[in-house]
Amino acid sequence: MIKLSDVSYAYPDTDHYTLTNVDLDVPQGEVVGIVGASGAGKTTLAKIISGFIPHVDGGALSGRIEVDGINLPESTLAIAVSHVGLVIQSPFNQISGAKFTVREELAFGLENQGVEREEMATRVGEVAKLLGIETLLDRSPYALSGGQQQLVAIASMIIMRTPVLVMDEPTSQLDPGGTRMVFDVMSKLRDSGITLVVFEHKVELLREHASTVHVIADHQIVASGPARKVLSDPRLEKWAIGTTRYTRAAALAEEKSLLPKSTELPVSLEDSIDVFKGFKNLKKG
Amino acid sequence: MEVSFNDVKYTYPGGVEALKGITFNVPTGQSLAIVGQNGAGKTTLVRHLNGIFQPTSGTVTVGDWTTAGHTIAELSARVGYVFQNPDEQLFARKVFDDVAFGPRNLKFDEEAVASAVTEALEETGLTKEAQSHPHHLSLSERKRVALAAVLAMKTPVVVLDEPTTGQDHNGVRMIASIVKKLREANRTVIAITHDMDFCAENFERVIVMAQGEVLADSSPENVFNLPEVLAKARVEAPQLERLASSLGWKSHPMNVDAFVDNLEAKSR
Amino acid sequence: MPTSLFDNRKSVIHRLNPVTKLVALLAIIVIVFAIPVWWVSAIVLVVVIVPAAVISGSGGRLLSLSLKILIPILLVLFIVQGLTFPGGETILWRWGVLKLTTEGLLFALGVGSRIIVLILASILLVLTTHPGQLMSALSEHGMSPKFAYIISSTLQLIPAFSDRANSILLAQQARGLSLKGSPFRRIKVMLPLLSPLVLGMFTDVEERSTAMEARAFGSPAKRTSLIPVPDTTLQRVLRWVFVALALGAIATPILMGIL
Repeated sequence: MIKLSDVSYAYPDTDHYTLTNVDLDVPQGEVVGIVGASGAGKTTLAKIISGFIPHVDGGALSGRIEVDGINLPESTLAIAVSHVGLVIQSPFNQISGAKFTVREELAFGLENQGVEREEMATRVGEVAKLLGIETLLDRSPYALSGGQQQLVAIASMIIMRTPVLVMDEPTSQLDPGGTRMVFDVMSKLRDSGITLVVFEHKVELLREHASTVHVIADHQIVASGPARKVLSDPRLEKWAIGTTRYTRAAALAEEKSLLPKSTELPVSLEDSIDVFKGFKNLKKG
Repeated sequence: MEVSFNDVKYTYPGGVEALKGITFNVPTGQSLAIVGQNGAGKTTLVRHLNGIFQPTSGTVTVGDWTTAGHTIAELSARVGYVFQNPDEQLFARKVFDDVAFGPRNLKFDEEAVASAVTEALEETGLTKEAQSHPHHLSLSERKRVALAAVLAMKTPVVVLDEPTTGQDHNGVRMIASIVKKLREANRTVIAITHDMDFCAENFERVIVMAQGEVLADSSPENVFNLPEVLAKARVEAPQLERLASSLGWKSHPMNVDAFVDNLEAKSR
Repeated sequence: MPTSLFDNRKSVIHRLNPVTKLVALLAIIVIVFAIPVWWVSAIVLVVVIVPAAVISGSGGRLLSLSLKILIPILLVLFIVQGLTFPGGETILWRWGVLKLTTEGLLFALGVGSRIIVLILASILLVLTTHPGQLMSALSEHGMSPKFAYIISSTLQLIPAFSDRANSILLAQQARGLSLKGSPFRRIKVMLPLLSPLVLGMFTDVEERSTAMEARAFGSPAKRTSLIPVPDTTLQRVLRWVFVALALGAIATPILMGIL
């Protein structure tokens, strides 16, 4: 669905490369996580996958970028955005500013595409239910809290029904409950056949929802593979992403020979219950 | 410095009752985390400490002052408040000047300003960025500039509003060590956070809020062992507490070392 | 926080097509300025504006808002024109060089009545018309969507940015900035705080335009609109009547000149 080969990129007016020799292969209908320290180049990669680089930002881009069968750099932005949706980092800026209610804000993209009124209303209702924002529909997008605005921003892209959806830190302003809900929504979208690329650093949730994870560090992809394998890699500490407490506890337990050496440390609660099952309530602690 | 809330109620001008009678006291040098879902009233509560909000009824005291008798500017000498959104706080063209703004307002002499700024930038890992324009930094760096700007004021009380959001692993570690240093210096630290692992590892006391009320107020070990309270406040227990309870343990390990100590005890 | 003065009610006036109201407003302005006698304004006031205000249910707010604007304007107008009108001969009262003349008062009445109509009618439009609906209606009548976007987003973003300015100010007070002192000093300390806001605004605009493209703003498709803008044959007729009346008003003085 997404295929990047040997992609390098430098922003205009600089010879410093933000990304070098990136290869990325995302199959259709999966949730793929991309993690990296701040400043590692995540937002840049998100913009490349969604066509905003080079169509908006310019700069020096090389390599092949194919998304949903489209050669993005050689296509136009208008075509790109009908194949890939991008949820940008700042919900405040994702909101158009032109609409006076959340309801109309959600429909903004569909109005631009000339979708029939009845269908718009149905799709607004569906996406509002999906993200639990039905009660906000008649409020002004600017009278919302940061977290509520973020849900509206995500909904405003989901409603576009692009085959590929790229999300750049979509849960930065949400509380744990809201974050979990957004991840559940991602899984639901995947089940309906949509391909999702999510730039996040909530390792535990990525383990639960993503099939594959890639790590960006030093302007490159330094590790790729199944979520549990990549997210339990001790090098995550060095790459400033950090592992979960489960992983650290299991690593320390192995070091102290309390657990047998394993090939894959646990990342999530479920992984750990299995790993530590021998310690189930042995005696009063 | 000690701070206290005495039956504080706050109703927004629109009529929304954000705080419904809050009473608690934070002794000098204590580290307190406030948790709860968005909209629970956490930010409204801590903004009473520096006078941005004044209670509709009840009183807030900071040391021997009642906030009602003092301006925000006066209270700033006692309470440093780091906003959640750095873009609401930063304004200077250079990181150095932004961090120096508070100390200068507090009439530090130039030598003291320079040393306070240098120290704060070092603690937040921004020494190299002293001459950068804040708007050219990443969000996580801007958040740390906002933190440095408050640290440099050397207030006896420091309030942090969601300090770890937008920070990568290194950023979170840096903030954890700043909280530790503040505690060692006997300064009072109050932080709002959604990161329960960060909370369990770095704070001696946790307050759980929901709908403008305090649901629980105790040590992390006690608070995170109250499933009904956590569910009501839509708060998740820290990772290792969840694991310990799934394994049927009676103990509540709040960090990796404590968890592994338990493993050792159990395998003996 | 309200983003406009819109007074959300369900009256007939509120439910009129925004374009009808806009045409009526423009026609009224043309009429009272084309025929510069006070009784034309009075007729418009009694026949159109007062009934519309009463039906809308927003009359109270209309009165309180417009009085705030009108009282100072009218006071200045009557004092200045009444006392210093150059051609004034019928002197009612005199004090040194100042003289209150009938001609002056009549002139002030002529200008004042037109200002009253202008202000009342404009505020009534704003009170009874949702800005979003106005934009959709204008787009349906052929206004470019880019232009509509610029207008609506400005309307929306001004309060959003003033919120941000407010919180920047609070944040600096929280860092010891004292706002005590003369108004001049306050302005001096507040000015530097605006620079990040303006700078931030530019970054925001750039990022927002990216987000707009991602939502197909550049799409060549013919736009649709989620909320239908109500329109009726009666309103279409009414609009032409207003246009005709305005044209008539322009023609009147010309015709009278010829005759």
